Amino acid sequence: MYKKLIMALASLLCGVSLLAQTPTGGVKGTIVSRTDNAGIENAAITVYQGAVELAAAVSDADGNFQIAGLANGLYEMKIVAADYLETMVNFAVEAGLIKNMFKLRLSRIKDEASDELFEEFDLDDSGYSDNPTVLFGQNDVFNNIAGYNFSSVRFRVRGYASESQDVYLAGVKMNDAITGYSPFSLWSGLNEATRTKSTVNGAEVADFGFGGYNGITNIPANASNVRKGWRGSVLTNSAMYRLRLMMTYASGPQDNGWSYAFNVSARLGGNDWIKGVFYRSFAYYFAAEKQFDDVHKLGFVFMGTPGARGAQNASTQEVYDLLGDNMYNSNWGYQNGKIRNSRVRLTHEPIAILRYDFTPSQDFSLGATLLYRFGKNGYTALDWYDAADPRPDYYRNLPSYYWNDNEDLNRLNKSKAMWATDAWQMDLDNIAHINWDRMYTVNQLNVVDGEKRSKYVLEERRTDQRDLNFVLNGKWRAAKWLTVTGGLDAKVNRTEYYKILNDLLGGDYYVDVDSFAERDFSSSPTMTQNNLDYFLQYGTAPKVYKGDKYGYDYYAQIRKFNGWLATKFAIGNFQATFAGRVGYNAMWREGLVRKGLFPGLNDVGGVITYNGQVITTYDSDGMPVTSYGKSKVEDFVTYAGKVNLEYVIKGGHRFYANAGYFKDAPNFNQIFVSPRTRNTIVPEVSKIKTITGDVNYQYSNAGYNFRITGYYTEISDQTKVMSFYDDAQNTFTNFAMSGIDQRHMGVEMGFKVPTPINSLSLQGVVSWGDFIYTSNPKMYQTYDNDASIVEETWGVTIPYWKSHPDKNGKTQKHYVAGSPQFAASVGLNWNYKYWFVDADVDYFDKAYLDMNPLYRTDMATAGGDKVATLEEVDYMASQEKFDAVYLVNLSVGKSWYIKRKYQLGFSLNVKNLLNKKNVKTGGYEQTRLVDNTVNKDRYYRFDSKYFYNSGINYMLNIYFRF
Amino acid sequence: MRKLLFAISVAAVAALTSCSEWEPVVNVNYDNVDVATPVTLDVNCTIAQLKAMYSKIGNPIKIDDDLIIGGQVCSEDRSGNIYKSLYIQDATGGIELKIGKGQLYNDYKPGQWVYVKCEGLTLGNYSGMLQLGYGRNKKASGEESGTNEDGENADDYETTYIDVQYIIDTHIFKGKVDSPVTPKVLTEDDLKANLSARHPSGAVMAQQGPDFGTLVTLKGLKYGKEVFALLYPDPDQAHDKDHSSNRVFLSEATWNITTWALTKQGMIKHLQAGDFDDASTGDNAHKVKEADLKALMIRKANAYAVSQYFKLGGTVVQVRTSGFARFADSEMDPAILDGTATIDVTGILCNYNGAIQFTLIDEDSVVINK
Repeated sequence: MYKKLIMALASLLCGVSLLAQTPTGGVKGTIVSRTDNAGIENAAITVYQGAVELAAAVSDADGNFQIAGLANGLYEMKIVAADYLETMVNFAVEAGLIKNMFKLRLSRIKDEASDELFEEFDLDDSGYSDNPTVLFGQNDVFNNIAGYNFSSVRFRVRGYASESQDVYLAGVKMNDAITGYSPFSLWSGLNEATRTKSTVNGAEVADFGFGGYNGITNIPANASNVRKGWRGSVLTNSAMYRLRLMMTYASGPQDNGWSYAFNVSARLGGNDWIKGVFYRSFAYYFAAEKQFDDVHKLGFVFMGTPGARGAQNASTQEVYDLLGDNMYNSNWGYQNGKIRNSRVRLTHEPIAILRYDFTPSQDFSLGATLLYRFGKNGYTALDWYDAADPRPDYYRNLPSYYWNDNEDLNRLNKSKAMWATDAWQMDLDNIAHINWDRMYTVNQLNVVDGEKRSKYVLEERRTDQRDLNFVLNGKWRAAKWLTVTGGLDAKVNRTEYYKILNDLLGGDYYVDVDSFAERDFSSSPTMTQNNLDYFLQYGTAPKVYKGDKYGYDYYAQIRKFNGWLATKFAIGNFQATFAGRVGYNAMWREGLVRKGLFPGLNDVGGVITYNGQVITTYDSDGMPVTSYGKSKVEDFVTYAGKVNLEYVIKGGHRFYANAGYFKDAPNFNQIFVSPRTRNTIVPEVSKIKTITGDVNYQYSNAGYNFRITGYYTEISDQTKVMSFYDDAQNTFTNFAMSGIDQRHMGVEMGFKVPTPINSLSLQGVVSWGDFIYTSNPKMYQTYDNDASIVEETWGVTIPYWKSHPDKNGKTQKHYVAGSPQFAASVGLNWNYKYWFVDADVDYFDKAYLDMNPLYRTDMATAGGDKVATLEEVDYMASQEKFDAVYLVNLSVGKSWYIKRKYQLGFSLNVKNLLNKKNVKTGGYEQTRLVDNTVNKDRYYRFDSKYFYNSGINYMLNIYFRF
Repeated sequence: MRKLLFAISVAAVAALTSCSEWEPVVNVNYDNVDVATPVTLDVNCTIAQLKAMYSKIGNPIKIDDDLIIGGQVCSEDRSGNIYKSLYIQDATGGIELKIGKGQLYNDYKPGQWVYVKCEGLTLGNYSGMLQLGYGRNKKASGEESGTNEDGENADDYETTYIDVQYIIDTHIFKGKVDSPVTPKVLTEDDLKANLSARHPSGAVMAQQGPDFGTLVTLKGLKYGKEVFALLYPDPDQAHDKDHSSNRVFLSEATWNITTWALTKQGMIKHLQAGDFDDASTGDNAHKVKEADLKALMIRKANAYAVSQYFKLGGTVVQVRTSGFARFADSEMDPAILDGTATIDVTGILCNYNGAIQFTLIDEDSVVINK
């Protein structure tokens, strides 16, 4: 048996070595754009025979390439270039000659300037992520069209959370160490420098990383990958920021081996739709790279995007209707008659990269990256002490607080409701918007001992990361039929969470006390302290001045180590990859201030006292509750395995299937009950288990692109942590859910095909999915102020999380929110003589509102009388489904060559051509209950908050290359 | 070429842009805002005249005339003992403005002049005190509601809060900040005179007492060794007069309450110590010492107001303090409790159903005479 196997292997190896006798044939050609016949630089050409990779090359600045050393025979060539759809081309080498393919045309993908239009719904406070969901600029036909057309409704591929999409920079996984969010904002505005990307979908394994179940993208960002020459562009758009100016230069590889590149940009202004949203953002990128010889290459990159961006906020439909504007933003108001936004992101997180490539032979390569991310990430918000809530759309400021037709809600003053209605409908500055002038007056009149003590301030919540990464990654073509890839990576992350005082709003100082604790413990001098050690030393709470830290201050410490290995077997038309990954994750909290509510123990392990009284507090297990110092270290051994099988048929057909199993660690933000206040860890922290599988067929040849995929994924044992004001308990509480399971299955299909009419092609995508919750998680609620448990809701199942019975007792499923589960687009694309026109109609359905767990509990459904009727359950636990919608988009562009040297071009995208202003793109349920009802036997929901898609909006980009 | 392109783009952007969208872009630091200019209105009605419009209990007056009163702020809610209300007084008397907002001291300073355009507001009685508020709640049927905003039984309330900002903005105007009102020192006779005040029509109506709703000082109060507090075993359930099983009265003794009021923590401590064991529910069916009831009361503990009884001569003065006051948990000096010391108090004089009730401004309003 073994002999036979060895013989077989030997004969295979012989075959391989025979092939190695340097044949004289080959292939050459020029890769050009279908739009304008311009040569495409840096296109990657790979030659295959069946599934076996034989040779590879990269096109030069004019798009030319040549590959030699091919024996006579039939081959396929895969061409991948940034901004173009991937394509396959057949060719034959005959009589030992170099086959000239002349011009190989690639179809442009959707417009280049759109990468950033995803940013900035800012949903930080709503537990919603604000990340792009489908990466733009992908070569895959489905992702490319879906990424562009579906972005405005926040479509997510296969319904997965954006955290599941692995994004690498120079080989380093850049997903946020704390939250897992994808990190695009770190380089937004650097479109040119980050243009080149490689991506695989689903559970495929990439050469540069093992990946998860939602694809993996690497942006090399090195100097030689930036398009050669000068390029300037001016962009204006009406949905996000008014003006973008960008300038790029890349030297391309010089004779002396050096490459240089820079890319700078400014994004400035507001937009037509959301008042208060603005950009004052800049970006820089500098890179140098030295190719010492064929073997050694060293590159350095430094980049960052300093700036300020005003954020948007969601409001209830009542507010939108009062103002007749679904794009109302409650974050801003007038100060001295000028618009000021209270929620501004102030970020500057530079990234420094050192990358070394070692390529001793064509069959072996090794890369090492050292990457450091640092700087500041701030987000301003109003903070106040013993003063009225300044947010204009606070529920008590709305007409609905005074009148509701349902008398059980006890809102019975129609006359007051009319006054409130009038004020909102007139859009009064001091009522419908933040009243900055009043806050300044309050602060300046609050004189204590001759100094103005601010009651309202602007705080800046900081999440400052120090993120050091080292990655080693290699590829070895052991034989034509065997490729081994693998890597090691290490991440050391220390993120400091704290807040600083950004603006005293006319006052002289602010006092650092815990106003929430004061509500319950006003007479305790120690429990209200945010900084107990300061109080114990000086007998008073610290005064805070502009720029000072206050409130809370702690480190999130994270260590991650992973190793992975993939072996790819390619025999004939068949290819199989087996891959595995093991890792170790450790994380802990380290409190930097001692909070009065949770003093813990002193440095020598003794209790803390004040005036002879012990003030150390204990949890229900008798352990001291601690805010200061290091928490228990939670560590996890993680592992995962993947199998990719692929079968290719000559002519551009590819059948492939992937399967994966993952045991991943939860993120830091999923394991601490209330990291701002204490070291307490969520009960029942467990690893997240994911099983995934997909089957695919892809066809790509000569202008035809098609892919269809069926997928099935189960994600189990997830945890979620939140904090909210519990109306039933009348206090702020922390809420952990564990054991959240969900299942994603569906089909996605994308195509682009030529039509009989010259230069006109038809393109479209369909994504149908069913993304549901499959478990009823357990909840653990604690009081924020004393860490004691809420007995009724501790360790109890949330009975209506995955579904609820409606009024008739019929089960209604609950869906994973945030993305339409059905999305389709069909359009025409016309490319002719430097012109392109692109028109699409999109359709979206099965989008659901994000659920809060509170409304799915027995407590909320039963109400005050503790009896849950079917009607109450259906009212409280049901999930809102958004209306189906269709949108029309149009793009036009043209470029001109001037003196064959310069290129001038423009592209104009008009989105939502029908100017639909009622398209919900997301939102959330407020985690609050109306429990103040007449008979106190049932509870009611607060109104949900929504985000809407902008009405008709344009983006015009004018670019110039020389 | 580049210059041309740039010029075209800038011109295009300028044409497409409104100025206001650039305000947050260019203002990296915003200028300070001047303190709002004080308003002065011509007063055409004294507070006493306004109060005199109220002539019959149970008959709140919606003011339809263009009446403007003016007075100085004499209360302060900084300590939390006064909540969602502001008292103003002029030379003729004082009145409570039911502005339904918390932390009013941020906007209305002691001594500040406040003008009220009374048209559209309602003058009503609450347990012996006149208040200027908004009209009562009404169901769609037109029937007046039996509850107020806090879900409490509103049979006793003839007005609701002026809590809509736009109503406040159009009715209540902030004038200049003057020196704080000097409290008037009242004798026992003054108290009696106020309690037996008459309406101009001649009828006895304590509501018209000129010192009610003003800042006064009472000197030499002696502790009466009696408290009054009303607790709700389950505050999340109905607890009005018709649900007496959900009410526990502490009265006719001190119940070992040596603080000005009961905070949530204070209540838990007393319950655990057994101080309230012998108190009964309103229907006399249960005693607090019963394990189930006590456990419920501890679990659903809340802050409660307490009236500490004092005497000025022979007149009872109930010093009523909110459980949410910052000094609610402050221990009263033992010398007060054992009667060896008297106190002088400064605060708002109130009438509670024919008895003198006194609202402290803050803990400093109490001066101990040892």
